[in-house]
Amino acid sequence: MNLLPLLNPLNPALTLTILVAGGIAGALGIALGLGGGIFLVPFLTLALGFPLKSAAAISLATVIATSSAVSARRAGSHLINLRLGMVLEVATTAGSLLGGITAQFVAESTLQRLFGLVAIAVALAMVARINRRNVIADPDADSGRLGGRFYEAESGGVVSYRVKRLPLALVGSFVAGNVSSLLGIGGGIIKVPLLNAWCGVPLRAAAATSALMIGVTAAGGAVIYYGHGDLSPMLAAPAVLGVQLGSWAGTHLTNQTPVKWLKVLMAVLLLVVAVLMFVRSVR
Amino acid sequence: MNRLEQHIGTVLRVGTIASSALFAIGLLLVLGHVAGELPRVLLTVALIVLIATPPMRVVISVIEYVRERDWTFVVLTLIVLLALAGSVVAARF
Repeated sequence: MNLLPLLNPLNPALTLTILVAGGIAGALGIALGLGGGIFLVPFLTLALGFPLKSAAAISLATVIATSSAVSARRAGSHLINLRLGMVLEVATTAGSLLGGITAQFVAESTLQRLFGLVAIAVALAMVARINRRNVIADPDADSGRLGGRFYEAESGGVVSYRVKRLPLALVGSFVAGNVSSLLGIGGGIIKVPLLNAWCGVPLRAAAATSALMIGVTAAGGAVIYYGHGDLSPMLAAPAVLGVQLGSWAGTHLTNQTPVKWLKVLMAVLLLVVAVLMFVRSVR
Repeated sequence: MNRLEQHIGTVLRVGTIASSALFAIGLLLVLGHVAGELPRVLLTVALIVLIATPPMRVVISVIEYVRERDWTFVVLTLIVLLALAGSVVAARF
């Protein structure tokens, strides 16, 4: 990896490029309810020529930053289901440990193909996002040991929900943790639709709980990359700051942006990313 | 609001602000061509604070669950910490 001349001394143009890319990825991530990683990783590898491993490592640092910032803001809203989160984290951190270890042995081309497949899956999920409501309008309904209740602005009252099919949620979380470490994405794209569509968790609670979980999950992966010298603080700095600024700006923009056409646009972009990843993997 | 949620919120907020501030200062020093080890040290500390923040949140949870005598969740959160410790070990090989 001939990144060394770029790293030392740090090239200001490269720093600025990563900062801006992080900002765009962070803003898009907030607007679409995804992490920014699915956009940042392909940018770093396809546009800047980083090896996938260092792109994934840098992206994991931004995943941690987003998770901490967003969850700090949400703490107290009861949207985060702490108990469910802690249970599922057992699976995500185990998956992330395994993913971080395998990433050290897997060929670059295999990672690229895997990223391509995940990008296609994300694109399809984004277009066909299931928006089923799982809430029980009665705040006194028994929500079970892992369920929860929160104030929902749309219905103007406290709603509650029960968690169903926990084993399925655990398997999905393990896979999400694994993919997160291997490819540098948060993994919310796997957990949120799963928790929402099959496990009875309302979309906003699923998203908030997943956002909390991805911090710990990504930390497990990031440590492994850092230990192997694939996570440079010099490159993580502009990416993290960019994503923080971008997601801050994104929260102020989402209210006016028509998310529907944005989703279609991003789905098309992800399919292009997938094709580029496949093309690169056979070269 | 639930006490645990409040503590978690504080840990995450402090970790986010500290790491972002250190990243920003370190980066400005690098771009301002400040000589010596300081910029590099600041950026490394920033990264470590960033990565350590979510695990700190789990540590706080273990303590709170012990206080509540909720042993199921004490065990679950300890398993999460064990997996994270596994990552630290894997980082060295």
